[in-house]
Amino acid sequence: MGDSAKIFQRLHPRAYLERFVAEDVRPDGRPFDAWRDVSVNVGSISTANGSALVRLGETTIVCGVKIEIAEPELDAPEEGFLVPNIDLPALCSPKFKPGPPSDEAQVLSDRLNEVLASTISLSSLVIHPSKAVWVLYVDATCINYDGNVFDAALIAMMAALRNTTLPKATYNVETGLTTCSRTAASPLQILKTPISFSFGVFDATLLADPTAFEEPLLDTTVSVVVDENNNLVSVVQSGPGVDSGAEDTLSTCISAAKSRRVLLGGQIP
Amino acid sequence: MAFALDRRRINGPEDSFPPSFDLDASQWKLGDPRKDRSPADIRSIFLQPGLISQANGSAYIETAKTKIACAVYGPRQSKNTTYSEMGRLNVEVKFTPFSCVRRRAPMRDAEDRSIAVAIHQALVSSVRLELLPKSTIDIFITIIESDGLEGCVASGSVAASTALADAGIELLGLVTSCAASVVGKEIWLDPTEEEARLAKGTVVVACMPALQKITSIWQAGETKVAEALACMDACQEKCTEIHSVVAQALLESAKI
Repeated sequence: MGDSAKIFQRLHPRAYLERFVAEDVRPDGRPFDAWRDVSVNVGSISTANGSALVRLGETTIVCGVKIEIAEPELDAPEEGFLVPNIDLPALCSPKFKPGPPSDEAQVLSDRLNEVLASTISLSSLVIHPSKAVWVLYVDATCINYDGNVFDAALIAMMAALRNTTLPKATYNVETGLTTCSRTAASPLQILKTPISFSFGVFDATLLADPTAFEEPLLDTTVSVVVDENNNLVSVVQSGPGVDSGAEDTLSTCISAAKSRRVLLGGQIP
Repeated sequence: MAFALDRRRINGPEDSFPPSFDLDASQWKLGDPRKDRSPADIRSIFLQPGLISQANGSAYIETAKTKIACAVYGPRQSKNTTYSEMGRLNVEVKFTPFSCVRRRAPMRDAEDRSIAVAIHQALVSSVRLELLPKSTIDIFITIIESDGLEGCVASGSVAASTALADAGIELLGLVTSCAASVVGKEIWLDPTEEEARLAKGTVVVACMPALQKITSIWQAGETKVAEALACMDACQEKCTEIHSVVAQALLESAKI
């Protein structure tokens, strides 16, 4: 890219994107409905009980699961804990500052928590009712922020959870201590694997998998989360829809997400 | 454990503990020879500049289990500071919660800051800050997996210097760094967490091999003067080898 094109992009991002859209292509060369490549690498972090590194185009997320033992809540003696959080450190983009989680990170963590809640039954995390349960800390960190972090983070969290094993634990009623076996371990019982697909609307054009450059220019964003049976898990649309002929934005997104889910399902461990 | 509820995160139970395992017989004790490598060997280095596309410069370093990502933003305008003739070099280190054997709750503790200070000290004399008045260079380091504090400081300094060069910031020379520990009567270079725990003392040396200048020495623990000097010599020798690794990695990324 020439210097003058770069300067034009910095100074007039909207006009820059408009010119590309008028030519039916996006700044990175993708057609409007194309997705960036996904790569998933699991189990590379030995200090975590399960881990995954996910790249969605340039967006990079590492996720690690740490297991700990706690006493369950008094009102839910047969429920473990699943604690997902995402961190967007100052490292990943110039738009973040060091310090406590940004608004964006808080919203992302909350949405991820909502989706993950349906994937694991908390009663499968019990070691001894009302005495000891497993806590799964699922922490994702963004290493490179190039848009659509929610989709990438959900893939990373699910892959890390699938990579996690729980050691066989026994609770000693007399001492009140839990001991774990070094050899016997079993994988987590995962009920379903939701994958999210996000879209953005720019001037009545639907863009799949928006980049960090496109995201701030979008009027509407839509995220559709679909599980392996092509059932909807969550749909979020923020901003107005567009009436473009026969189908409205939301239905177009949902059918695009469902057909992409079938394609991606085989790629993700 | 004092635990303040942080409403900006998803919170788990008030108290939780890492699982305790039944006894393991294969413990490694003092006096045994070093596992996997000889005393003067360091862990092999994988270094890749320019992986973080949003940053001005970046580097990712992996030495066996230690994995560190580093991004450089700047030089950019200093905010909320008074006029200064010299640029400011700002180093922030963050551990991911899953980077250590024990989970690190996402609150900044003293360890992050002491590593940040050590890395700042290793780098600050190599950067030509006098050319950048009113500016700040931010170096953000995320430790994805840690295997020994000394290794993190050394690898972090190497990654940060590589990222500075990748950002095109004027340097007097590349900074490389190496750690050594005194275990029994031997000097073991680049100790892992387990080895550093058994060591009497550790030394971390950072230097600019191209100029034959040392930028920082950090010695901790109980070592004899002769041992500390021997550690420093061994580290400096390895730093020269690491320098060619860094130069090669930068050259290859510049060609693409």
